[in-house]
Amino acid sequence: MKDKPEAAYLCLRPKVAKILPVMKMKGIAMMVLGWAVPGLGHFAQKKYLRGTVFFGCLAAMTALGLALGGRIYPFQTENPLTILAFFADIGNGLLYLLSRFIPIGLGDLKLATFEFGTAYIAGAGLLNFLVALDAYDIAAGTKS
Amino acid sequence: MIFRSHLLSMILYAGLVSTVLSFLRRDDKKSRLKYGLVMFAIMAGGAILFGWLMYLFTL
Repeated sequence: MKDKPEAAYLCLRPKVAKILPVMKMKGIAMMVLGWAVPGLGHFAQKKYLRGTVFFGCLAAMTALGLALGGRIYPFQTENPLTILAFFADIGNGLLYLLSRFIPIGLGDLKLATFEFGTAYIAGAGLLNFLVALDAYDIAAGTKS
Repeated sequence: MIFRSHLLSMILYAGLVSTVLSFLRRDDKKSRLKYGLVMFAIMAGGAILFGWLMYLFTL
């Protein structure tokens, strides 16, 4: 009786071992998609409601942040505290990459809304990390 | 410029963050709504309480 579950586990193990790398690769692909465009990782897995909500909320946060004159920080060592903002901002995926080539998210310190705008952009980036990890979990089968 | 009111900016921020978190952390409609509302109340209410707390220590 004691050997039965163990035998079943050993029987399943090669199957699991075969599926696992495929699921991991799919998970990583979904995570990258979710990072690049908020909610795209969920859309690709037919989680349309979640994908729409994530895209709507995070795109609104980023757009508001930019409209409020917030800044997307590049990696710079002159001011070490901005390195934290940089790590939050890279969560915005394609927008962050675009901001390195076109003049968006330069920030306007004179505006009273500068701090809030920057917080909106950084908040959207941090939340998008969670959204991308959620897309990974769904693809890997650890979440429905 | 839009959102001159910091309170409005904070409330909208709390609303968007709590919506995303409720969809990440909960699976069914009812618990999402409950979780989202609780998160929103904690974030918005906490910020207002903290604001008044800081008011006590003005120079």
